[in-house]
Amino acid sequence: MLEVERIRVSYGAAPAISEVSIRIGPGELACVVGPNGAGKTTLINAIAGLHSIEAGALRLDGRDLSRLPRHAFCGEGIAIVPEGRRLFAGMSVRENLELGSYRRAARARRAESLERVCGVFPILRERLEQPAGTLSGGQQQMLAIGRALMAQPRLLLLDEPSLGLAPAVVLAVLDVIKQINAGGVAVLLVEQNAALALEIAARAYVLEEGRIAAEGSPEALLAQPHIRRAYLG
Amino acid sequence: MALPSLTLLGQSLLSGIFIGALYGLLGLGLSLSWGMLRQINLAHFALAFLGAYLTYQLAGAGMDPLATLAVIVPCFFALGALMHWLLARFSVSAFNSLLVTFGLTAIIEALIQWIWTADFRRMESAYGEVKFRVGGLYVALPELLTLAMALALSLAAWAWLRHTYTGKAMRAIAEDAPIAAAFGVDVRGLSLLLSGLCAAFAGVAGLCLALSYTLAPGQIYAWLGVVFAAVMLGGLGNPLGPLVAGIVIGVSEALTMAFTAPAWAPLVSFSLLIVVLLARPGRI
Repeated sequence: MLEVERIRVSYGAAPAISEVSIRIGPGELACVVGPNGAGKTTLINAIAGLHSIEAGALRLDGRDLSRLPRHAFCGEGIAIVPEGRRLFAGMSVRENLELGSYRRAARARRAESLERVCGVFPILRERLEQPAGTLSGGQQQMLAIGRALMAQPRLLLLDEPSLGLAPAVVLAVLDVIKQINAGGVAVLLVEQNAALALEIAARAYVLEEGRIAAEGSPEALLAQPHIRRAYLG
Repeated sequence: MALPSLTLLGQSLLSGIFIGALYGLLGLGLSLSWGMLRQINLAHFALAFLGAYLTYQLAGAGMDPLATLAVIVPCFFALGALMHWLLARFSVSAFNSLLVTFGLTAIIEALIQWIWTADFRRMESAYGEVKFRVGGLYVALPELLTLAMALALSLAAWAWLRHTYTGKAMRAIAEDAPIAAAFGVDVRGLSLLLSGLCAAFAGVAGLCLALSYTLAPGQIYAWLGVVFAAVMLGGLGNPLGPLVAGIVIGVSEALTMAFTAPAWAPLVSFSLLIVVLLARPGRI
């Protein structure tokens, strides 16, 4: 469903990623792994419309997204759980979730989405009126995922959802990601913790210094000794 | 120090509330565009005076002063949106917006001086004559109108930001505009809308200035310090803040004048600002 074809994104003069191509099939769970500073966040932000693309193509179900205004990406069915969560900290949990369903089509199904999110993360129901900034790290991650689910996405982008979370919480979050994916939502997961990502993904990309260094099924990648050594220690 | 009489005290309190309402009304648009769009619009004061002079002109031509809002509000809305478009077009930073709008202030001041000269102008209207007597105290209609408009606009802005989808989106823009856009919020469109509203608020404040005060181009700067104090005390981007803080400042100024001498009044408002900034440094 998603085709990223040889895109380049730069900050100033220096390209952060170039010639990057990835594909995600409908309902597929794909991951991008790689070291710090490889351009993983730049890639996922470009797909969410947070960065403009200098060269290459970005297509969702054959529709070209690269010329769309930034606020139109969500309407195409893309929602992001950004790096560092980036919640609206001064606003309540409920308001954060409502903003997830800001676009008209999602707004119509807001009550239903809210029920679903609170079903997945019961703790959020108890905290609905609390400012998002007062939640614990794990709860904030749940809210960031919940906010993205409120948008009723067809493609969910997750940037380092495990960062800064206790191991037990990480496992819970991964379970939820698998559950969302099982519900038919395609997922692109960006992770520095390659072991975690490769465990649940059906297709994986290794990004190094702004370029795709390897791709394939997790099993195939793990069969390559240098990748095993670099990412699994 | 002689204690003032109860009547004088009551009258000071009232006039403090009324001038505070005008501080609040002048500060509302300033606070919202600063807090939510990171644009410190010094030209807000010049706009308010432009509004006041336009009210004066239209009322002089026979229009009811309140009816002039039907002309001024839409024109100022468009003007505010245009100003924001220009600032955004050249991606002016918060600090630079201060400089650019200072320049704009000088231009508007020159324009006012060119059209209406530097002579004092006083709007004659039926409203100015009406006074009510409550107990032993006098309340003038223009002051009452100012308080009513400040209350109505501040509450309306609060309700909009708190309870509507677009208002919440506006607050989300203030916190993290790119992420708000990623969830479908039209950041540019809403920013234009808010800037338009802020300028329209300046227009309404202008009407209130014209109702109660004698106008002169140089007066633009007389309001700057105290209104900035009210905006900061009230918390940037808080729609009720400027009015509440404005009234606190207005009342403390009025009481200072009643108990000591008028010259001490500015000292009180700025001491108040410094104390609050020291006590709650996270406020700005």
